[in-house]
Amino acid sequence: MNIIEVQNAVKHFNRGKIKALNDVSLSVTEGSAFGLLGPNGAGKTTLVKMLLGILFPTSGSARLFGQPISKPAVRDKIGYLPENHRYPDFLKGNEVLDYYGQFSAVPKDLRRQRAPELLKLVGMEKWGSTKIKKYSKGMMQRLGLAVALMNDPELLFLDEPTDGVDPIGRKEIRDLIQQLKSQGKTIFINSHLLSEVELVCDSVAIMNAGRIIVQGRIDQLTAKGHTYRLQTSEIPSTEYAALKNRFASLEMTNSHLEVTVGDYTELNQLIDHLRHRQIELRSLLPHRRTLEESFFAAIQGAASGDFNEMKGYSEKS
Amino acid sequence: MKFRSMIAYTLRESLAKKTFLGFFVITTIVHLLFMFALNVDIVSGGQAAMSLFGKDIPETVDMEKLMIGFKHIMSGLAVLMLTGGIFLAIFATGSLVPNMLEKGSVDLILSRPIPRWQILLGRYCGAVGLVAINVFYMTVGVWLIISLKIGLWHWPFLASGLVIVATFAVLFAIMTFIGVTVRNSGVSMMAAWFVMFFSPLLFQRDKIYALLSEKIWQWLLDGIYYLIPRTFELGDITRRVVAGEPITDWSPLIQSVLVGVGFLSAAILVFERKDF
Repeated sequence: MNIIEVQNAVKHFNRGKIKALNDVSLSVTEGSAFGLLGPNGAGKTTLVKMLLGILFPTSGSARLFGQPISKPAVRDKIGYLPENHRYPDFLKGNEVLDYYGQFSAVPKDLRRQRAPELLKLVGMEKWGSTKIKKYSKGMMQRLGLAVALMNDPELLFLDEPTDGVDPIGRKEIRDLIQQLKSQGKTIFINSHLLSEVELVCDSVAIMNAGRIIVQGRIDQLTAKGHTYRLQTSEIPSTEYAALKNRFASLEMTNSHLEVTVGDYTELNQLIDHLRHRQIELRSLLPHRRTLEESFFAAIQGAASGDFNEMKGYSEKS
Repeated sequence: MKFRSMIAYTLRESLAKKTFLGFFVITTIVHLLFMFALNVDIVSGGQAAMSLFGKDIPETVDMEKLMIGFKHIMSGLAVLMLTGGIFLAIFATGSLVPNMLEKGSVDLILSRPIPRWQILLGRYCGAVGLVAINVFYMTVGVWLIISLKIGLWHWPFLASGLVIVATFAVLFAIMTFIGVTVRNSGVSMMAAWFVMFFSPLLFQRDKIYALLSEKIWQWLLDGIYYLIPRTFELGDITRRVVAGEPITDWSPLIQSVLVGVGFLSAAILVFERKDF
């Protein structure tokens, strides 16, 4: 079941001068961890804000849990950790949890029970009685995460969840996200940290200039394509030129050969060619792209108007 | 529950702000002044001597004249409290709506399952409620001190608290509207002070007509007069209520309340549709 569904969402600001979202459609299935990626100004935060009713679409529609986003009650089961959040600094950690729990209609008894549990979960159990103006940025982020979980949400929106958190804290937050995912919660992460998204999410969408240019499962986006890395004995420059002449995609990097071939026949032809020239093949590995490589390829493809690269991903997804 | 929570949250936030503490401290100083500086002795035969702020005002009057003078003092005091109280209240609440709408804060509230009108109305009610607490602390305190010292319990004085709160509620509706549309504390406060400042001038606009070159400016003044709260005349109503004089014209109160309701409704309407 799709827990988030966006259909042809358009959002314009300044009477159409700024096109923040341009015909965006996406869906997120229940229980998955979804990452929304994109450079600054791509429209990621606009999309999240639209889903949470903080701003309104110019046209198009969106549904959460099958309900239109215009209904406030749809946010009953949602937790949200915004980027650069500002909780009132005159409150203590416990009070922040209590107030925002009240706003989500969490009963008093449950608030009292959950507040210390959540503070413990985010490693802040000793800080509940301290005013939050004394918290560091990393502590504020952990508190924000606890607040987002106060109403035991089924869907969590996390905007840069590890922003300002040290490496150990980042790992703890990643573990927590994994734990929440294993509990069946749907997680929607908006982040610049591609490596973290890769570790946590099942699927991603890459946005650029208000459009979704790629969407799919991470394992598909980073799937082994027809690119191979070969380690060989030394290749004389004349031989390399001859090889390059026949296999145009061949590149020599750090004593490795990297080649993208159309099919296995072409790969075997390359191997035959190397053997025929008495070049020893020491290893041959299919090359898996990182999410970062996929991201840059997609963004560059979008910028140059070459959609072949992106089309390839979309087809796989 | 969520609406009540929004009111409670506003009260909590307001209490944490030093401006409200300032309001409370100034009111307490006024109480202390009345408690210690005002020296009133009831002398045999209903004659009294009154010392205000430590200065003797020798006056020998009969009881009836004393009562009239007393009522005038009390009504003057009520008008003074209206002006001073409103001034402090505007200052103390000016940032409440714009602060809530700041980036990073507004997202946290709007993403909760609360209808937007409840968020804004909760904020409004919280602010008016807190000002009411402060104003009643001021009026009831002053009334209690004077009554205990003089031995005369002038009940109509307490009504001044209601008029002050009503006047503030009307002005805060304008501040809420400006706060939602402009999102600036300074401009919100200026709007309320503009109304307070121009209300007496507009009340006497017939004297200004002679200075105006074109008829259209007269119409403009008339239009403004009927579009903004008539706070100056509300002061006169306060004075009359406390002095026990009959009120011949309730239109300033009715118009002001209607303008307040109009601005609050407009603020809610804008807030319901605004992107943050």
